[in-house]
Amino acid sequence: MLKHSSLKPISEQEAKGEIDRVYHEIMQTMRVTGVNLNFRTWASWENFLPLMWDAMRPIVGTLAFEQAGDEVRKRTVSEVRALPTVSAFHSAGLGESQAFQVHAALRLYHYINPKLLVFTSAVRLALMGHAVSHALEPSEPIVLGPPDGMFPMEMVEEGEEEKRIKAIFEDIASTLSLATINSDYRTLALWPEYLDQAWRALKPITQTVEYNSAADRIRELARDFAQRLPAPAGLTSAAVKDTGENVDQILKTTSNFERILPPLILNIAILTGECETDYSRLVSPFPAELRKPLFSGGGR
Amino acid sequence: MNWRAFQAIQKVTELGPRFLSYVDEGEGDPVILMHGIPTWGFLFRDLIESLTAKRRVLAPDLLGFGFSDKRDCFDRSIGRQTEALIAWMDKLRLDRADIVGHDIGGGIALRLAALHPARVGRLCVMNGVSYDAWPIELMLQFGHPENRRKMSAGEASTMLKRALKSGFAVAPEDEFLDGLLAPYGTETGKTSLIRNAAALNTNLTTEITHLLPQISAPTLILWGQEDSFQLAKFGKRLASDIPGAKFVPIEKAKHFVMIDQHEIVARELQAFLYI
Repeated sequence: MLKHSSLKPISEQEAKGEIDRVYHEIMQTMRVTGVNLNFRTWASWENFLPLMWDAMRPIVGTLAFEQAGDEVRKRTVSEVRALPTVSAFHSAGLGESQAFQVHAALRLYHYINPKLLVFTSAVRLALMGHAVSHALEPSEPIVLGPPDGMFPMEMVEEGEEEKRIKAIFEDIASTLSLATINSDYRTLALWPEYLDQAWRALKPITQTVEYNSAADRIRELARDFAQRLPAPAGLTSAAVKDTGENVDQILKTTSNFERILPPLILNIAILTGECETDYSRLVSPFPAELRKPLFSGGGR
Repeated sequence: MNWRAFQAIQKVTELGPRFLSYVDEGEGDPVILMHGIPTWGFLFRDLIESLTAKRRVLAPDLLGFGFSDKRDCFDRSIGRQTEALIAWMDKLRLDRADIVGHDIGGGIALRLAALHPARVGRLCVMNGVSYDAWPIELMLQFGHPENRRKMSAGEASTMLKRALKSGFAVAPEDEFLDGLLAPYGTETGKTSLIRNAAALNTNLTTEITHLLPQISAPTLILWGQEDSFQLAKFGKRLASDIPGAKFVPIEKAKHFVMIDQHEIVARELQAFLYI
């Protein structure tokens, strides 16, 4: 059975006021078509999310942050080379359009998850009061907004799952010790046969020492990058406490996300291996462009 | 064939940053079936089977509909859909095809025939939108942007299912109705459908009214007589405005004429398309 978390993530549809504002900015600044479970869960502390986001936003919309995500993705791809491959597309009997869409969904998460991990690590470090070490150079702003051609973050809604999807979700949750099913699995559940085959292939891999060591290394790399990003101004445990929110609970949840994201990143990279070359998996599916200055100067 | 099996036979074409899913069955001269709102190619499940004996039948999901691109960032008007359809035909190297359109698919078919006559062989409009006969009140209300926040995907599906039923003379099995609405059962699907409804624009048919008498494609107007969404009088008006068009009223049929009277519609289309 799914271990139901006491926290109720706030969906995009339910978001109001400040949460609605932050969700919009998340999609623009993270360059993504939907709001991942991390943010929806953080939103259940309604004073925390805006405080945290306003501190993180200037860091996120920069080339340095984007490149940190790129490096985590690259490391992940090199880690999965040593892990078994899977063959879920064929065994799921996907049609041409279905295969295209599954691939597009995998590209979405292959892009966003590494960024999400760096983000989560940065939030955790800030709440723990870690000082910035060997900070990266001040970074240039990138063009914001979800890239053209990125798949929508469409997913099977909670409570709307078919029986067989529910069973797969329960198996995923108990195997990976998840309290809530991540957006990725909910998206892949749009093609139940694919999710079924993919999870059957992934499950034994997730039980191996090699896989878990790889997840640890990815987590460490993300922490390293997070530590070198500029410190998010104003995001401290004292500031969060001042808003009346429970810092310990937030930190615990944030640490948990930092724990579960590396396996998720690995899983998506493994699945992506079936439809992409090693090289195309290494590079960002949606490379960021630098934002051009509004006025280039030199005019009279 | 249930909706999942139908989805599994869909092919895909990329149109710039968008993608369009479609069914492509049979061999012979191409005929394109275009659905309306709030359905998708699955609406034509049985009709496709009736036409593939001698024809290549293509049934695209319009952009923003079914299992075509549903991202919340593009124009879904029938003007844009017409352009997308031409781009899709180009990709498939279809210089010309017979066109069958239902509901807003009928509006797109009319725009194709009026504005791009070289692309249309024969034209059939089934209970299609035309003149200022649309959007209907239900869709005008559904397209309100606030509905994205006010209504959950589940609530929207329940409401639409009830509304859809009134478009049939005899309500089909739940499995078929659920299949028609399946692509819209997620928050993304719901939002996409709301955006599709918001894009319904009567000007896009009124602006071609003066061109209707110039349509040169042989035209068949099939109309479920009891349709309360698109009244039969507009079908008759189309038949009188388009030179040589034949108007065929179908008794005991409402908006979803191809389901209410499948055999009659299939027979009429087969005769019209020389099958």
